[in-house]
Amino acid sequence: MRGHGGIRRAEAIVAALGGAANIVDIEPCTTRLRSEVRDAARVDEPALRAAGAIAVLRSGPVVQVVVGPQADSIACDIEDVLG
Amino acid sequence: MTRVLSPVAGRAIGLAGVPDPVFAQAMVGPGTAVDPVRAAGRAIAPVTGRIVKLHPHAYVVVDDEDHGVLVHLGIETVKLKGRGFALLAAEGDEVNAGEPVVAWDPVAVEAAGRSPICAVVALDADGGALTRVRADGPVHQGTELFTWV
Repeated sequence: MRGHGGIRRAEAIVAALGGAANIVDIEPCTTRLRSEVRDAARVDEPALRAAGAIAVLRSGPVVQVVVGPQADSIACDIEDVLG
Repeated sequence: MTRVLSPVAGRAIGLAGVPDPVFAQAMVGPGTAVDPVRAAGRAIAPVTGRIVKLHPHAYVVVDDEDHGVLVHLGIETVKLKGRGFALLAAEGDEVNAGEPVVAWDPVAVEAAGRSPICAVVALDADGGALTRVRADGPVHQGTELFTWV
């Protein structure tokens, strides 16, 4: 699944989470990405859905992006994007 | 047709009984859940196939019909960082249904403040693809939980 399409999706997810500077932590958990952000107001849910999220669960600074079984490969791409 | 076996012994409760909205609302697929017997044990492969994902607290086995079954041992157990879990197989391994994949202890999971309930999910399946879904009553390890057509 990795490749240019994967990187574009990872970039879209990072942008929808408010950009790299807004992301404190992001880790995959089998079917979802668990992220912690500095400013939850900057999270763009419609953009996350447009990037392939099935659902977005928010609890304060913790944002869970449900993406299905590709979560691990998406997280790898996001690591590449975040450098 | 894929027969999906219970990875643990316990009581079937259905996905709706899982204290996590992703599983309870079947966001990643339909299935069921088992409230495990409170004793250390070895969770087994629910189907015969290849282990495509293996974490201490969760694994996915894909069979020769390309049906991927997720077993998630406990809720929010990613936070335990593998403590209390031991891998008995490796990612990429071919396993037979019933072979042990992860050793774990539901008592320790509960002591760490997490629910030990195990979700068993037919990844990306349509709701109508599952038949004979067991959503209540006691189950043995290896009892059929549902059939995936």
